[in-house]
Amino acid sequence: MIDFTFTEEQELFRKAAREFAETRIALHVPNMEKTDRGWDEVVKELSEAEMFAVTIPEEYGGLGIGYVGRLIALEEIARISVATAMMYQVFGLGIEAFIKSGSEEQKQQYLPKFATGERLPTVAVTEPSGGSDPKGCQTSYTKANGAYILNGRKCFITNSHTADVQVVLAMDCNNPDSFTTFIIEKGMEGFKPTHEEHKVGMRGCNTGEIELKDVVVPAQNIIGGEGKGLKVAMTVIGDVGRGGMVGCALGVQQACLDAAVKFASERVLYGKPISNLQSIQFKIAEMKIDLEAGRLLGYRAAALQDKGERASNEFAVAKYFTTEAAQKAAKMAVDIHGGYGCMDEFPVTRYLRDSFVLGPSAGTSDIMKVIISRWALS
Amino acid sequence: MPADKGGVFVFAEYGTQAIEAISLQLVGKARQLADELDSYVGVILLGKGIAGSFQKLVEAGADLVFQGDSDSLVPYQAEIYSQILVELVKEYNPEILLVGSTSIGRELAPLVAARLETGLTAHCIDLSINASGILEQRIPAYGGLITIICPRKRPQMATIAEGVFPNPTLNASRSGRIVSLDVPKDFLLRAQTLEIITETAVGVSLDTASIIVAGGAGVGDLDGWNEIVELASVLNAGLGSTRPVVDAGWADFESMIGQSGKMVNPVVYIAAGISGDLQHMVGVIGPRIMIAINNDPKSKIFKQVDYGVVEDCRVLVPALVQALKNR
Amino acid sequence: MLSIVVCVKAVPDPKEADKLMIDPITRTLPRLDIPLVFNPLDCHAVEAAIQLKQKYSAHITALSMGPPPAGNILRECLALGADQGILLTDPAFAGADTFATAYTLAAAIKMVEPVDVVFCGMASSDGSTEWVGPQIAALLGYPVVTRVREILDDQGDNWLLKADFDRGYRKIKIKLPAVITVTRNLNQPKALSFSGILKARSKQIKEWNHDTLGMPIEHIGLKGSPTYVTEMTRLESSRAVEMIGGTLREKVECLVKILSDAGVA
Repeated sequence: MIDFTFTEEQELFRKAAREFAETRIALHVPNMEKTDRGWDEVVKELSEAEMFAVTIPEEYGGLGIGYVGRLIALEEIARISVATAMMYQVFGLGIEAFIKSGSEEQKQQYLPKFATGERLPTVAVTEPSGGSDPKGCQTSYTKANGAYILNGRKCFITNSHTADVQVVLAMDCNNPDSFTTFIIEKGMEGFKPTHEEHKVGMRGCNTGEIELKDVVVPAQNIIGGEGKGLKVAMTVIGDVGRGGMVGCALGVQQACLDAAVKFASERVLYGKPISNLQSIQFKIAEMKIDLEAGRLLGYRAAALQDKGERASNEFAVAKYFTTEAAQKAAKMAVDIHGGYGCMDEFPVTRYLRDSFVLGPSAGTSDIMKVIISRWALS
Repeated sequence: MPADKGGVFVFAEYGTQAIEAISLQLVGKARQLADELDSYVGVILLGKGIAGSFQKLVEAGADLVFQGDSDSLVPYQAEIYSQILVELVKEYNPEILLVGSTSIGRELAPLVAARLETGLTAHCIDLSINASGILEQRIPAYGGLITIICPRKRPQMATIAEGVFPNPTLNASRSGRIVSLDVPKDFLLRAQTLEIITETAVGVSLDTASIIVAGGAGVGDLDGWNEIVELASVLNAGLGSTRPVVDAGWADFESMIGQSGKMVNPVVYIAAGISGDLQHMVGVIGPRIMIAINNDPKSKIFKQVDYGVVEDCRVLVPALVQALKNR
Repeated sequence: MLSIVVCVKAVPDPKEADKLMIDPITRTLPRLDIPLVFNPLDCHAVEAAIQLKQKYSAHITALSMGPPPAGNILRECLALGADQGILLTDPAFAGADTFATAYTLAAAIKMVEPVDVVFCGMASSDGSTEWVGPQIAALLGYPVVTRVREILDDQGDNWLLKADFDRGYRKIKIKLPAVITVTRNLNQPKALSFSGILKARSKQIKEWNHDTLGMPIEHIGLKGSPTYVTEMTRLESSRAVEMIGGTLREKVECLVKILSDAGVA
């Protein structure tokens, strides 16, 4: 059936990713936490470490390592900085739209530059009128003289201000059941990122709003075909978006477990380290169980993707499980720290805040259950 | 001396003005070993203008001093030195050859041992002769001491650091003999030392400091290490480190105390963030007071010191620095 | 084109190595599963080879003697830019002291000759003897320079090096082929890259045993080692520790008093 071990090559990818995260990302975290900015530096590091090339096929300038490799990299980066991992995963989401739905010319034009990080894409679907309900999207387009005019607003977009290219979902003014995804580029007249969000966690991850006012978009910027927008967007969000959240969540889970084990081994109460107390051991056991299970769910889904198959249902399960587990793990880790769990110098307070942002990203837990029940009932 | 008994030989080194202390310490120990073996001590000394040193070597315990005095022997050249040593050993077939764990010794000893296809033990902290007349070489490892022997090959070779054996009592009534060595004159060197440059050391010398502050992996990071540096500065103490600190790049190899580094013997030794690993602790010889600061109450350091404080160095050391400054 | 050999060793992770302790009752080493990692100084040896390859062209062979998991270290060398790996693995190599190790490595290098330079880390983090580099040189008949901190001139086959020596350094000229052992100050090893890992796919790691090397058993492993361990004892310390407790302030005050009474503060 399956071999549950990583190959030697995958272990090397993990080593490279871990060393990268520890030596090139960790030092930026304090600044990102303090200023809620600093993303330019980490995005540059990601580019130089060839992280954006991981899922791009070799013929378009990528490394073609695949989705298991992507999950390994995300896990390792998220363990150090989930804000960085989040930006990385959403750039990956934008890249996936081109890989899955781009025309040959679009792939040739955009993917090689994405691979080097020279230009980076994101996906803009969510609006004030709905994220969980993408059809509630009110950003719309009309046709005029062979081009398309877009108007609207998107919110809670990761990489809103940093992305060079955005894949924007818009509704056909003349047909509210029809949606199209357009490639919007920085510098297009009428398009601009507006409000920057300040989140409780994942600080330093660029999240914000974009505004489109009579943006004229040529026909060749339609990605995936007119009217196919929902399919384009949901496909990539379902597989790569959810998959990315799994990587982010697993990293947080591991970081929480590491912090809890370290603290429990050093903190002495009643003459012994508290790791000797069963109540602490049980919390650590739960974190460990969730990590083992989460990894299996995530890597199984990623392996399906590497085979060229759809894995959005499997990722829904993994996304639900790991993002919920990460929130639990963070709370348990904070509890194990006692009073110290409220103090800024201890990383667990950051993990707790970061974990809140994992839930609603790429679909809430409730939406995941809707998808999973649909899968089970079908 | 008995001609058929292989001697106990020492490779001695001549510093800028005198025989190195390590060499005298080894000659003293060789004397003790030779007495147990009912044998003699042979000392090899190579350099230029070293003729006057013969006396001191004999007073320390040498019976034969093999002297090479020539321009070609200064500065040290591995190929000439090893050639001379190998030929001498082949002629005299000593039982034992001791070499100081110096820059020269750590390059020369393995070259000589390999050419003679014999055994060489590093980091010896104790030497003794067992019931079968074999040299037992003890080195610290794995939280204890391991005994190594080289029963079949000769000579039995070992390197020893300065300070392991005491300075010998010099006995002016001893007598000995010089053997002048032939030194090759036009040796074609493939590795040629052109010049040796001394770099000025910063800070209090570990060799002479009466108080040493040493930091280990428990200091956490470079900031934590800098606090240790500050503490050493405030106390005008020597600054020592352990291998993890050197590996992390926070301190130089020169500050490393332990089996593969320096042996020190201050009056007071403060170990901050140090786990008490034997490889390090063996470098700390007989301080009157040893103090440990460590976050881990189970740390084995606390079994090896006089005073222990369970605390994170990063918290305690700055506080201690502040209190000392305020006095 | 330069022919370079880099000798690398898989060692117990230095961060966990101190868990390996002599059992005071059985007086042997318990079997512990400490992960094997790249010997830290060997990374600098590999980097030295890579930099030479970038400067002039070169063929780099990464060589290691060890159990099968040591192959991972060689794979890393390939990912960093070495062209081929050779793993000397054979139960008969077990128990080797530095001489038997150097003997085995030298025999392998002879099979790879002609070689211009052999790089080794100055010492390994486990045995830490510093012997293997010079002993390989003696067995190959190459000159050696230990503890190199800078390569001043690497053109042609007469190199000029700076090596740590006493309380400073020495300038030393060396004629290739030669063995060079390196310190951490020589260079800053580059990070593993994804593309490097992919390039390693097409590179080979050969596994050689004592038959491949044509070595009789008497010269290898424990049998070929002039030295061996006869005894292990645990060291018991003789100091009785007084633990200082209380608040941070109390601890500090107590320490200041101890230091002051000792006459050092």
